[in-house]
Amino acid sequence: MIRVLLADDHAIVIEGLRALLDGEPDIKVAAWTTDGTEVVKLVEQHKPDVVVLDLELTSIKGTEVIAALRDRTTPPKVLVLTAYNDGESLRSALDAGAEGLALKTESPQQTLTAIRQVHAGQLVFPQAARRWIEGRASAPGDLTPREREVWALVAGGLTNPQIAERLGLSDNTVKFHVQHLFSKLGVKNRTEAALKYAHGR
Amino acid sequence: MTEVRDAEARAASRRLLATSERELQRIVLDMHDGPVQDIFAALSQLQVLERALAADPTAAQRARQAVRLLERALGEIRNFIGAFRPPGFERRELGQIIEGLAVQHETLTEQAVELELSGELGDCALPTKIAIYRILQEALANGHRHSGATRQRVSVERRGLSIALTVSDDGRGFEPQRVLAREEDVGVEGGHFGLRGIQDRVEMLGGTFTLESAPGRGTSLTVALPAE
Repeated sequence: MIRVLLADDHAIVIEGLRALLDGEPDIKVAAWTTDGTEVVKLVEQHKPDVVVLDLELTSIKGTEVIAALRDRTTPPKVLVLTAYNDGESLRSALDAGAEGLALKTESPQQTLTAIRQVHAGQLVFPQAARRWIEGRASAPGDLTPREREVWALVAGGLTNPQIAERLGLSDNTVKFHVQHLFSKLGVKNRTEAALKYAHGR
Repeated sequence: MTEVRDAEARAASRRLLATSERELQRIVLDMHDGPVQDIFAALSQLQVLERALAADPTAAQRARQAVRLLERALGEIRNFIGAFRPPGFERRELGQIIEGLAVQHETLTEQAVELELSGELGDCALPTKIAIYRILQEALANGHRHSGATRQRVSVERRGLSIALTVSDDGRGFEPQRVLAREEDVGVEGGHFGLRGIQDRVEMLGGTFTLESAPGRGTSLTVALPAE
């Protein structure tokens, strides 16, 4: 069960999403608020897996909310939901450390899909944002070019067999590269590798 | 005397540009705060309804049609808003604003942008920042609509007291004089300000404008604007 918290200034958006999400067997809306300053407190109380957050809040900056959530020991995944399909939204969401971006100018079904994807540890950003994601990676010096390639694909949410197919390698070879990659990056799993890739941490 | 008048005219033009930016921002924010939220919320509810109507195929079909219509309306707004929200001109540096625009263009069009930001751009006055942004936006849109090229190259660099922007492609090219003359006659369609508009913006700020293009030879546009 994916537990979701909704934070948006617009009560009608919350009402609509609640109706939609509650009809899904694997999702439960744990809490919601139209006041951005309440988000951190509600996250403490309800411990949701995913926070769906509008960046354009009136009471507090969306990016500040994300920063506060990042500081928690077990931060929830953050999916930014915005009406603006522009560089500014993307940049703010990435800089703040969100796991994904969904648009109010796309079908709400897309938001639903994105919630499941970020919950599964994927980063959900348009392909064009790659240059920023790659630019910010800390890129430890001793990674081989192949490991870098594998890292990018892991961050893109691909499984080992998918990576193997993409790079024309055997599953075992990919497994080998992934193990080396994780130990060089000092991460325990794919989610951490993807986060490190996105935020350069 | 003429110099004083020129300076006054230039200051007035700058004020006019700043005012139209503010107007644009207001329209975009109103769209975001009103129709987009309503349509998104309505779509969420409709999709619940559509599912509930599964037993009644005719009714479900109607719900699906309504969903499609609203999605199309959202798509149209998306293209408009995506293209027109002014970035944080006061907060962001020129380089970041240009990167944002390049990413935005790629997202909207799937046409690649090869971006070259060389060296330090240094401080940049607000009117120049806004003009570079709007000119690049227009040039990328033109290149996408008319050039037939799969990628465009953009470079921005500091040249002494100026900021120089070059946008080029190896697409089908055109005859600059003919396009400028046509814009003079019939204006520019679709909310775009066209080549003439680019030239006007450059002149208002006392910059230079160079356009090289010929049928089959690609296009290269360079503008240089005072940095301060």
